Amino acid sequence: MRAVSDVSFAVAEGELVGVMGPNGSGKTTLFNLIAGALRPDAGAIRLRDRNLAGRAPHRVCAEGIARTFQLVRPFAGLSALDNVLVGRLYGRARGARHAAVGEAERLLALVGLEGKAHLLPAHLTLIDRKRLELARALATAPRLLLLDEFMAGLNPAETESAMALIRRIQGEGVTLLMVEHIVWALMDLSRRLIVLSAGEKIADGPPDAVAADPLVIEVYLGGTRGSARRA
Amino acid sequence: MTRARQLVLGPATVALLAVLPLVVRRDDVLNFLFLVLLSITLAQSWNIVAGYAGQVNLGHAAFFGLGALTTRTLWSAGTPVLAGMAAGAVVAALFALVIGAAAFRLRGAYFAIGTLALGEILRITVGNVLAEVSTLPATTIAGYRLANRYYLALGLAAVAVLAVAVLGSSRLGLGMQAIREDEDAAEASGVGALKLKLLALVLSTALAGLAGGLFAYYHISYYPAHPFSPHWTFDSLLITFIGGVGTVHGPVLGALFYVFLREYLAIRWVDFHLLIFGALFVAIVLLLPGGLVEAVARLRAFTRRA
Repeated sequence: MRAVSDVSFAVAEGELVGVMGPNGSGKTTLFNLIAGALRPDAGAIRLRDRNLAGRAPHRVCAEGIARTFQLVRPFAGLSALDNVLVGRLYGRARGARHAAVGEAERLLALVGLEGKAHLLPAHLTLIDRKRLELARALATAPRLLLLDEFMAGLNPAETESAMALIRRIQGEGVTLLMVEHIVWALMDLSRRLIVLSAGEKIADGPPDAVAADPLVIEVYLGGTRGSARRA
Repeated sequence: MTRARQLVLGPATVALLAVLPLVVRRDDVLNFLFLVLLSITLAQSWNIVAGYAGQVNLGHAAFFGLGALTTRTLWSAGTPVLAGMAAGAVVAALFALVIGAAAFRLRGAYFAIGTLALGEILRITVGNVLAEVSTLPATTIAGYRLANRYYLALGLAAVAVLAVAVLGSSRLGLGMQAIREDEDAAEASGVGALKLKLLALVLSTALAGLAGGLFAYYHISYYPAHPFSPHWTFDSLLITFIGGVGTVHGPVLGALFYVFLREYLAIRWVDFHLLIFGALFVAIVLLLPGGLVEAVARLRAFTRRA
């Protein structure tokens, strides 16, 4: 049984690439492979020509790949500031503690959590917890940031503000790879989409071209053969 | 508590306890305080690995026992007691590294089960091999000074509290707490979990080994298997939870409360004290997960509002 096989693609520095595909198509598995949470049986994962395949997640993070989780996973017993400090003190940019606090505060402000540094995650709303997780990931100074369904569970207004936030982060020079089910948001944010189906890449290109791709339409809407089964 | 107040209050308490034997010349008071100080050290050591790094050690007595056994053996053979205690700490930490390196690669209950098994295996082995009671030679008994034991206990408890205070506000301590909260998320944030868990375990067990050495120095005679008894583990666990797990002050408040209540109950209701502590533990976990430290904080917030 293969969750992901023969998926090859490259992401340029500063690019924002969207990953989509039906449930079970292997999007989260792909992220787990890149972030080191899963070890690939074959193939390579390269960041600036260094092969990271099979490395432990904390080593992958130290090389410059950070992630957020599909269901937010903040450190529940630590304040928002301490959550971000963990990323700052252990990620790629491990600095002195004194400078780290200032940087963590800057990142909290960047994601829109100013004034909430001393709150526990339980006292934050869902969108704020997502903002916190984003700040923690950014604190590790990633070259590549993996966002796993960052907008899931948000209302339309929150989705808009999350999109603005993602644009701001791209503006900071971070390369982004994002899995998203909210297709319109993904179409709007990215200039390039990759579509997975049953663990294989079936499309890779500009959003308009991908949306018009017959194979993609079949996978999403069900073709003549698939419709009866899906219904 | 603010940092400035801690910096005054901590040394002031130690100074007060240091002049106490000069003022109060009662052995029962010193013996009681010795037990409190020993309990602070052992509970604080358990707090490092379980409270901060979140790895529940159910065989802490094994490391306390190893420290006691090593110190007693070396000291009886003529080694200075402090050197014996240092050796005891090293032996305890080495044992911990072996069990930790194996158990920490697996998630979940493996570490708790592994340490529980280690503790029982060592207790039974020591009980069989060294079945005779260990008694100090007559010359040592003649020169026995309770004050020496008391001061050593005071110094060790101060070191334990200071170590946890420094650790708690350090980068390493923050990484350990992140592992406690969510190991996957900690790894994803760059925290090398295996290394930090082993570090927490080594610090914790070395301190437990020192406490064991103090036990061996204090008691004139005891069965060598006694310090391996699981009640040392569960005393530490109860004290830490009653006081406040994962806090600096928790084990201090917890030890004071627990030892006092235990001694009191042991006189009044000889066999009921375990039952009472069991109920107290359940009540604290359910109603006051932050322990006495949280109770104090809540009380303060309440009086400020009133």
